[in-house]
Amino acid sequence: MNEEAVLQLRNVTKKIGRRTIVDNLTLDVQRGEVFGFLGPNGAGKTTTIRMIVGLISMTKGEALIKGVSVRKHFELAMTHVGAIVENPEMYKFLTGYQNLVLCARRHAGVTKERIKEVVKLVGLENRINDKVKRYSLGMRQRLGVAQALLHKPSVLIFDEPTNGLDPAGIRELRDYMRNVAQQEGIGVIVSSHLLSEMELMCDRVAIIQAGKLIDVRTMSELKNAVGHQQIIVEVENPVHTMEYLSTALPGLAISLQDGKLEIMAGRERIPELNRTLVYADIDVYSIRMANLSLEDQFLELTRGEQIV
Amino acid sequence: MSSFGMLLRNENMKIYRRPRTWAMVGILILALMLLAGLMKWDESSSQDSAANWKQNLMQDNEHMQQSLKEQAADSSPEMKQMMEERILLNEYAIEHDINPNENSLWSIVNASSMLIVLVTLLTVVIAADMVAAEFSWGTIKLLLVGPASRSKVLLSKYAASLLFALFLLVVNFAVSFALGAGLEGMDGLSQPLLTVGADGAVHEGSMLLDSLQRYGFSIVQLIMYVTMAFMISASFRSSSMAIAFSLLFILAGNTLVNILARYEWVKYLMFANVDLSQYVSGTPIRPEMTLTFSIGILVAYYALFHFITWIMFTKRDVAG
Ligand SMILES: Nc1ncnc2c1ncn2[C@@H]1O[C@H](COP(=O)(O)OP(=O)(O)OP(=O)(O)O)[C@@H](O)[C@H]1O
Ligand SMILES: [Mg+2]
Repeated sequence: MNEEAVLQLRNVTKKIGRRTIVDNLTLDVQRGEVFGFLGPNGAGKTTTIRMIVGLISMTKGEALIKGVSVRKHFELAMTHVGAIVENPEMYKFLTGYQNLVLCARRHAGVTKERIKEVVKLVGLENRINDKVKRYSLGMRQRLGVAQALLHKPSVLIFDEPTNGLDPAGIRELRDYMRNVAQQEGIGVIVSSHLLSEMELMCDRVAIIQAGKLIDVRTMSELKNAVGHQQIIVEVENPVHTMEYLSTALPGLAISLQDGKLEIMAGRERIPELNRTLVYADIDVYSIRMANLSLEDQFLELTRGEQIV
Repeated sequence: MSSFGMLLRNENMKIYRRPRTWAMVGILILALMLLAGLMKWDESSSQDSAANWKQNLMQDNEHMQQSLKEQAADSSPEMKQMMEERILLNEYAIEHDINPNENSLWSIVNASSMLIVLVTLLTVVIAADMVAAEFSWGTIKLLLVGPASRSKVLLSKYAASLLFALFLLVVNFAVSFALGAGLEGMDGLSQPLLTVGADGAVHEGSMLLDSLQRYGFSIVQLIMYVTMAFMISASFRSSSMAIAFSLLFILAGNTLVNILARYEWVKYLMFANVDLSQYVSGTPIRPEMTLTFSIGILVAYYALFHFITWIMFTKRDVAG
């Protein structure tokens, strides 16, 4: 067991009725990293997060925060957690500041100075004494972040954190997440289906599909994965060519898309491919590389599965 | 970990920072002013009889003595006893120069105990909203994702509801006292309460204690209804539903008990037992009911309400 892990999930499972919504999830989040939960709608990201923070019970398994079981020692485990689950919620008839006071009282040792510090951090100094009902969505989101950060947690959990933020806000939040993760050694968990965002924020991502953990990858692995480059070939008779290539060059993953051949391989295979085609007297119109975006890779990984 | 005191402060802040709460206090004060004003108006409209009250009391006594003699046969023993006591009290009042029909500060304070019904209804609204509103606002997630166990959060909310009831009761008492002092003057402050004891003699008692006793019986009722509303709040998770059902149960429950009073099982309903003053002044809903029986039933319901509330709040998933 890794001592640096601030969050450990062990066989976390949620069943509602006969349906398994989250299925045997096991993973570790280290201190100092930003960790993404990535998955299409209904994959079970929110459900997993709700189990981690104790909003819903686990059917099986265990979540440990800094080694403390959420199930057995809820109060102690929660002293280390800050979270926004889905939308940030606050008391609309109170001011932003009063909302923070409510949060501060629930934790031991949050000073007035700390509240001020956090308000400044999320850039709400000018509006903090306004009633929350007069806040815009993005301002609420910022106040939600302030609420989650107030007690200096070791694990920060954000479900769809950038929902409603403007580009500047998204950027600030991203930078902030990176900063707290690196400088204060906090483990940050974000869920999103926006891949482009994950790409900028996360060190590692867990790809979740229909409640199951498909893979955990570091961002650099994802970006550099050679196997996820594509060669696109335009030929006279694609169906025939595909058959021919699968015997001539066994082991290549070839698919037919819009009358073009898509071959999952890196650029070093192009000369060989070209030779093969020319020798076989196949008319080639073009051969080019297509770098799969992360988005495409994600779709590739979860391809063909319906939203469950 | 959250301290209970801090959680309670949070709950109080959520109650008293809402404009609605102060509208409720305003309604209560308005009702008290209306009550005191009506009493003052009623008193002054019968001014002429007030001047020669001693004569009136003597006349009353003569009437009563006469009817006691004439109708000795067909009046019930309770009726007879009541009249005899009235005669004794009237004689005592004439002798000691205490006008019993004159409004004093205490008559207004005593009358204010009738408004505890209003205090109860207002507190029921607050209690019914206590848990359900957090679900309606979505803030329940904020509240539960923190270093406080659900039981502790629940307890702080219940305590805040009862504190609100106490606050309204103090307002009720204090405002009626102030209105009494303002309208009737402070002279009545030391006015004694006249009662006929078991020994057949007139006793002077404390008006303050009498008022507090009236408050006491109403508070039992208040606590039972508030606890019920709190349970409904934790079960329904919707403010408007919880408030509507709580008020409906209270209104329907009391009516139902009176309609069904001829059935024996009615005595096991909370609503039949909730008014303990039925054993002091008045007759119990079912003849076989006793004070101990009612207290037992109320304690059982109280425990049941808390158990259901706790299960509903701590054992259910919070999703959506
Ligand atoms: N209370 C519930 N009862 C039954 N099924 C539920 C409940 N809550 C969620 N689900 C189901 O569990 C699955 C996972 O839902 P979840 O909200 O965790 O998805 P998600 O990954 O957060 O999706 P999104 O990206 O849309 O937010 C969905 O199929 C959903 O229908
Ligand atoms: Mg979700």
